[in-house]
Amino acid sequence: MSGRRSRISEEEIKELISKLRFLLPETSRQGGSRASAAKLLQETCNYIESLHRDVDDLSDRLTELMATMDISSAQAEIVRSLLRS
Amino acid sequence: MAISNAEGDPATGNEGGGERKRKRRADPPVAKWRTEGEQKTYSSKLIEAIRRVRRSSAAAATDHSRSRAVRAAADRALAVAGRGRTRWSRAILSGRKLKLWVRARACRRKPLGSITAASSSHTTPKSKPPTLERKARVLGRLVPGCRKLPLLTLLEEASDYIAALEMQVRAMSAIAEILSAAGAATAEPM
Repeated sequence: MSGRRSRISEEEIKELISKLRFLLPETSRQGGSRASAAKLLQETCNYIESLHRDVDDLSDRLTELMATMDISSAQAEIVRSLLRS
Repeated sequence: MAISNAEGDPATGNEGGGERKRKRRADPPVAKWRTEGEQKTYSSKLIEAIRRVRRSSAAAATDHSRSRAVRAAADRALAVAGRGRTRWSRAILSGRKLKLWVRARACRRKPLGSITAASSSHTTPKSKPPTLERKARVLGRLVPGCRKLPLLTLLEEASDYIAALEMQVRAMSAIAEILSAAGAATAEPM
């Protein structure tokens, strides 16, 4: 199980590119097929990292918010608004 | 009659008992992460988890450690929402400590291929492996539990993971909005 480098064939690369295009949000999709697979992979990594950062920031924010308020009344509020939407 | 290692009864009509090869996991449908129902379920679980963190955190706990606890709880709730069908969700649930330990081990055992192939490049291991593989490794590190996967499987996991993360961000933002709005409302006594 060591040193099993699987070479990536041409077809796999094409499939790769189409899948990657699908993953990324609309805004960062480059027009045309100029973007190589490596670039798309890089975009994907960047996107996941930015999502992780967002989650961290949101966790910080939620931690602050939950510390400064009474959860029981907040929960009633949340339940109400969740039921509304 | 045990024909072979049957995990389910053949009598329950699982897509025609004999076709075990076709029973491969279908691609995890990504669209479910976009549904409102999924997000609502996740939100309520997350709120419960936050309450638990709040109750259980000692007075001496710093904001940072509590924030990490919230993040961990959010990730675990996300993995549970995945219903164990994907590798990343199972990896999260089987323990984050495991991930750190595996990473420490993997760092020791660098792939031998790079050392034998390049005679003198002992200090620059990055120049040998092709760019695509390098990027794929990075991606494999970002998605939990997906370090040694072949590229296409890695992409399937990554697509599900990304959709799940997006839902996580949406749900947490919504909760933060509501909490801060509720906070502003209770701050002014009527």
